Amino acid sequence: MTSITTTGRAGRPQRRSAWRRRDAATGYAFVAPAVIGAIAFVIVPLGAVIWYSLHEWNVLANTFTFVGPQNYQDMLSDGALHDSLIASLWFSLGVVVLNITLSLFLAVLLNQHLPGTTLFRVLFFTPVVVSLVAWTIVWGFLLQADNGINGFLAEFGITGPNWLRNNVTAMISVIVVQVFKNVGLNMVLFLSALQSVPEEIQEAARLDGAGAWRRFFSITLPMISPTMLLVAILTVVGSLETFALIDVLTDGGPGTSTTVLVFYLYRQAFEFNQFGYASAISVLLFVIVLALTLLQWQTRKRWVFHES
Amino acid sequence: MSPDQLTPERPTAERTSAASVAGAHGSSPARRTRRAFGSQQLGRAALVFLMIVVAVPFVFPIWWMVTSSMKTTSEILSLPPSLWPESPSIESYRQVFELQPFAQQYVNSLYIAVLVTVGTMAVAAFAGYAFARIRFPGSNALFVLVLVGLLVPSEVTIVPLFRMVNSAGLIDTHWPLIVIPILGAPSVLATFIMRQFFVTLPGELEEAGRMDGLSRFGIFARIALPLSRSALAAVAIFTFLKSWNLYLEPLVYLSTKSNFTLPQALTQYVDAYGGPIWNVQLAATTLTVIPVLIVFIAAQRQFIEGLANSGLKG
Amino acid sequence: MNPQIRRRHFLSMVGIGALGTTALAACSDGDAGDEPADGPVDLRMTVWTASEDHLALFQEIADAYIADHPDEVSSVTFETIPFEDYTTNLTTQLAGGNAPDLAWIFESNAPEFVSSGALVDVRETLSGTEGYDFEDVGESALELWEDGDALYAYPFSNSPFVMFVNTDRLAAASQPNPAELVASDGWTYDAARDISAASVAALGGAGLVVRDFDYMNWTNLASVWGGWDAEPWSADGTTCEFDSPEMVAALEWFQDAVFVKNAIPGPGTSADFFAGDTTMTITQISRASSLDGSFNWDIVPLPAGPTQQENIVGQAGVGVLAAGANTQAAANFLAFFTNPENSASLSLYFPPPRESLLNPQTLAAGNPLFSEAQLDIVVDSISGATTKPSHANFAQVDTTARGALDAMWSADADVAAVAADVCEAIQPLLEG
Repeated sequence: MTSITTTGRAGRPQRRSAWRRRDAATGYAFVAPAVIGAIAFVIVPLGAVIWYSLHEWNVLANTFTFVGPQNYQDMLSDGALHDSLIASLWFSLGVVVLNITLSLFLAVLLNQHLPGTTLFRVLFFTPVVVSLVAWTIVWGFLLQADNGINGFLAEFGITGPNWLRNNVTAMISVIVVQVFKNVGLNMVLFLSALQSVPEEIQEAARLDGAGAWRRFFSITLPMISPTMLLVAILTVVGSLETFALIDVLTDGGPGTSTTVLVFYLYRQAFEFNQFGYASAISVLLFVIVLALTLLQWQTRKRWVFHES
Repeated sequence: MSPDQLTPERPTAERTSAASVAGAHGSSPARRTRRAFGSQQLGRAALVFLMIVVAVPFVFPIWWMVTSSMKTTSEILSLPPSLWPESPSIESYRQVFELQPFAQQYVNSLYIAVLVTVGTMAVAAFAGYAFARIRFPGSNALFVLVLVGLLVPSEVTIVPLFRMVNSAGLIDTHWPLIVIPILGAPSVLATFIMRQFFVTLPGELEEAGRMDGLSRFGIFARIALPLSRSALAAVAIFTFLKSWNLYLEPLVYLSTKSNFTLPQALTQYVDAYGGPIWNVQLAATTLTVIPVLIVFIAAQRQFIEGLANSGLKG
Repeated sequence: MNPQIRRRHFLSMVGIGALGTTALAACSDGDAGDEPADGPVDLRMTVWTASEDHLALFQEIADAYIADHPDEVSSVTFETIPFEDYTTNLTTQLAGGNAPDLAWIFESNAPEFVSSGALVDVRETLSGTEGYDFEDVGESALELWEDGDALYAYPFSNSPFVMFVNTDRLAAASQPNPAELVASDGWTYDAARDISAASVAALGGAGLVVRDFDYMNWTNLASVWGGWDAEPWSADGTTCEFDSPEMVAALEWFQDAVFVKNAIPGPGTSADFFAGDTTMTITQISRASSLDGSFNWDIVPLPAGPTQQENIVGQAGVGVLAAGANTQAAANFLAFFTNPENSASLSLYFPPPRESLLNPQTLAAGNPLFSEAQLDIVVDSISGATTKPSHANFAQVDTTARGALDAMWSADADVAAVAADVCEAIQPLLEG
């Protein structure tokens, strides 16, 4: 994965260098759209956000004043920001753990060639193609205190919790709704990884007397670890980007229990009109995503099979 | 559950526990050993039952959405909840089209998603290929530069992007919803997927192409690209769904109802005070979900196999 | 992949980023265009109504204006922004330098918009327009939108809060009719609570619902605590009064009605008066459009609390944005949009601030469901009413208070302690 395939030892040196030069030009041409796009729509806006973060920007009054690192100093003493970081931590942790566990579990289940596997594969994937807004609207209704899920529970004489009105259950609710929405995608990735684990290796291990758990942890997991890495990165970043779901389901409440960082950022910018401060939070969010991703990359050699 | 059920395995003579057979996988009749046939069935039946239970939270919300779209508001709110409408009516479906230019919004969502998908596939295939196979000075630095997009949640840059779009005079047009996803942060994952695929191509193939006198573009177009069909399919699926679900950006960039996309339109089925008109909203929701579901179900085999061979395995 | 992200790569990224910022910084220092355009201009007004009827009426008024002033205005666009995200979205447009010419503004955001300089003073334009009859506009209706002599918006809608009653449920539960209690001065919050609780005990469903409060939009509780003469903060907005004895008493009454008396549905429940399973609801009269005739109903004024009976209106203003490109043309259009004739048309849907229009006859056209007696109640509920709480830092105060109040919505909450916590949380924001 890390090595770039070199061309073979074909041709004489000049021909090779001419090809190289032309090849490099082709390379630049090939990457031009992606690179220009990255500069125009990612790097420049990111720079702009850093620039904004050094300012006090009041949209209503139309003022834009340079305040240096003031916004960053404010962040240190902002209790609500610290709460949102903790909420983000719980949310992301919950989503990543639950999503990866469940998607792996479903993939293994689907890989058993049981009757109806095709149907279930479709069913588990269905929420992925449902628009997020639609999915959230429906769950918002199902999670009401006296209707939806609790309405059905009441039929069996069970009083369900007031899902969205208690700090703990609200957090659990947003995690679960988020996971059920997207778990199908990771499930398919894991399933494809599982199906590419060579049968012979399993067979050999079994002849060596390795039990099923042992084979799963010593052979299957290492074989699918590259998929695991990608899924982990995407899920972590995705969980940190979750906004619409929180907005529609809990509006960050009850209290501030589900006000995750990105929601707090949105709130500071678009509800409180603190664009300068919100930009500073954006920078923080970016740094966090960057750090987590680098961390996963740096540690991949320890656990990703093809990397060692 | 027993660990035996977690990995596919072929039953062997030494292992006769009921659970171990649950995972009978690809065993040819010749390899079948004498075992209690009933217990095997039982284990498998238990697993099927488990799948059914697990499937409930995936399926029920959609079931509730479809059935409630045919109820009256008071029936939606009634207790105990009904699984089936008392007198199914499609009145709410008529209102969907009366309250908003829903058909137009449908077309908007569809054509934006298609354009973004095609554009992203092109950008990602070229860039992914070059980053994977071509040596040119600074390629790693440029790749890192592009990868930054993977780490930028859209909320982070929405204000500067909005200002850019506005100064270009493109507010309330579909341009920002098409161009930014193709070139900006949303397409980075696609580039990454394509690169991951092209890295795994054996070098001999390209070498052979060079021997045959193909140019680099020729190698890309005739050898690499045809082989990457499954990765492209995965990119197409990811991209289409992402565009189809986009919520924050249309909300910020679009202001005219006839320009709206579907996720945005769904939130508009409210009375003058922001209270949802449940049944109409759910009817509209159903209309946005069902066609995509039908396409997915019809093509689910290609879909899953496309993802399966997408080079996402590292 | 090879990102051992090396420092120089990172630095080169930062360098490119820094270059980009200068490009953007150039356009970030406010681009309020005040230079009058040469030819006729296109105006844009943001609204939160999505009703086709409303929009058709606005367009009709606009078309008449354009026909009269073809060289001043060439078109007026009415842009609907969803109610939920209205202020947020409007702010985004301002931040992006894409300000509309005119905008509807919620009463809660009024002080913020008024004090920030986001709006243009329209008093001169309105009072100086021939035939406008500015004196007709109720003085109390304008208060929220004034700053000294300047007037920053026209309060086009003054929708009173009243109590809607499901008389079928009252009859089925053999409860007294609030209308009779009004006549005998017995229409109090305690009576409303007891009737509601009894009807729930007899019929299930919900008792009294403060509509759209939903344990989120706490300012809607103003219709309740008015009876205790309580206020969330001092009139000048600088001192929290959540912990005042009046407010604590009102909140204790409410909390008791929810969790002990079972008269008010608890958090997370979805009771809809207009679906017929609720005994009574406090809401604005414009909601009557949701009545479908499936049950008999009546309206009565808000009940009295232990201290007083207070009427409350939800206001909405329309103002001209200073950041818009055509402020004078927009102000001139506003003067036409809200002149006596057009105000009469608008009063079909929006209870007007003009005294001459505040009578049952005018309101009858727009509210065909109401009897004349009921419209009298509506008119009485508008005159002398207070508005819902508002503050110059409303968004932040609102959100923070909501978060702190969440602790109050459980059966064993210590109301006085939570009220004190709310004050602790919002006091710095009130001063800020």
